[in-house]
Amino acid sequence: MEAIRAENLSKTFRVKRKEKGIKGSVKSVLHPQAQEIKAVDGVSFTVEEGEILAFIGPNGAGKSTTIKMLTGILYPDGGSLEVLGLNPTKRRKQLAYEIGTVFGQKEQLWTHLTPYDNFRFFGAIYDIPEKETERRIKELGELFTLGAFIDTPVRGLSLGQRIRCEFVASLIHRPKVLFLDEPTIGLDPVVKGTIRSLIRQMNKELHTTVFLTSHDVGDIEKLCERIVIINSGRVVLDDSMTHLKDIHTSGMSLENIIMDIYQAEGRSEAV
Amino acid sequence: MTGQSGQSGRMLLGLTKILGKCSLPCRWMRKYIVIYRSVVMENMQYMANIAMGFVSYFVLNFVFMNLWNYMYGTSGELIAGYGKEQMIWYVMITEMIWFGARPAVVARQAAIDIRGGNIAYMVNKPYYYPFYILAKYTGEWSVQLPMYAALAAVMGTTMVGKLPGFHVTAVPVIILCVVLGITINAVFKLCIGLFSFWIEDTHPFQWLYDKLILVVGVIFPIEIFPEKLQPFFKLTPIYTVCYGPAKLVVDFSPGKCLEILCAQFLYLALGSVLIYVVYRKGVRKLYVNGG
Repeated sequence: MEAIRAENLSKTFRVKRKEKGIKGSVKSVLHPQAQEIKAVDGVSFTVEEGEILAFIGPNGAGKSTTIKMLTGILYPDGGSLEVLGLNPTKRRKQLAYEIGTVFGQKEQLWTHLTPYDNFRFFGAIYDIPEKETERRIKELGELFTLGAFIDTPVRGLSLGQRIRCEFVASLIHRPKVLFLDEPTIGLDPVVKGTIRSLIRQMNKELHTTVFLTSHDVGDIEKLCERIVIINSGRVVLDDSMTHLKDIHTSGMSLENIIMDIYQAEGRSEAV
Repeated sequence: MTGQSGQSGRMLLGLTKILGKCSLPCRWMRKYIVIYRSVVMENMQYMANIAMGFVSYFVLNFVFMNLWNYMYGTSGELIAGYGKEQMIWYVMITEMIWFGARPAVVARQAAIDIRGGNIAYMVNKPYYYPFYILAKYTGEWSVQLPMYAALAAVMGTTMVGKLPGFHVTAVPVIILCVVLGITINAVFKLCIGLFSFWIEDTHPFQWLYDKLILVVGVIFPIEIFPEKLQPFFKLTPIYTVCYGPAKLVVDFSPGKCLEILCAQFLYLALGSVLIYVVYRKGVRKLYVNGG
């Protein structure tokens, strides 16, 4: 069954333009000009329940805009969208109870509180009864091995410990789909490995669908069964990981394969 | 301090447990009570820092005490209908509200969240953002304000003396007025903060609003100003924020109390409608333009 379905999704932003210098500043006040930028242009894909999908692309390709549309933060200009059978634009609050998000560069935990107090806070936000919250904290605390620091204020935790707590906070309401945006950014290789194995374990044990964006090829290679590459707002590749490796020259690393695809599309940044 | 915070934490925990078992509106409130509780727990770690603000409060009130002592030449003299003790107590109460319920979280956080893009990650959480901010703010002032209230009571009784005509029976309604006044102030400050959806910097507007409240209502009671200006001030929220509660402390009358409470409920309703409209339009802009 499909967890996510996007068809012909598009989004255009109007961005203010200003010519250089003081003259340009005055002109922009008297005659403001704007340029239309097509961030997402006819994107279509599906994600099956329980699947781990890598959604990647260079900077400015439209990844974040797509995630924001999938989570109901942005309204699409065109196309249709369904996450767990719900339209994120119309049923945003209802969908909020069914999805979770982890943004590697955005903290959602309250830094002055302990992870335990944070989890209780998130439990209440998602209307989970007290006893059930306690049970889930215990269960997820064991899965993510938080025992040693669950009562230490978040501001005193290392980045790796904080990210593990971010995962638990995002999973406390048992989301069916988890959106991960650069979850291993800034982590050392050992912690990265731990986080990856925890994502795999979580996917296996809780059957959570994972929608992952990352510039780290290791994350993609070790976690994902399928890969969707987006560039200039369009899907340029939607393939299984094994097939992608099969059709390319043997021995070629995934990083080089992705680089080739980006370059073929006229972009070589990122990855 | 730890014992105190632990006790308050347990009381709040009990309250949330009771609410957890209640019907739908109570359960709806539970998440905001948990937000409130989290901020209370956070603030209790900084009680010593909060107490540092006592120095400014003491100095400011000491200055005004001497100023009014100088202004009131003879005993029993009235200025704008206030006796010396009433005038000094008035300033102490308004300054107590000003210091103890500083709406920094309301004024700054909305603007920071909107300008920095954090709001995008908060609108898809199952809570209503303005209530989230107001719950956080309530958590802040409910730790700070009682501390300042205790200081004001000690300073007032030792340095000014007993307030003539003050009845302890009026305390519950005065507390209600103070809470309503603080909430109205927060609602209007949040409204200004939410204008960050359209304008780059709301700080000048916040500054203007703060200065209006400070001059008209905190430092001087409305009656000090020219008679022609007084009806205008009474039509603004200033009347309900600091002036109203302090006036009830120094010169309580059931008629005045009813008048102030009616004005407060009116302004709270008006402010709530304003927040609803501004937030709805702002978030719509965010959904369409991406902030």
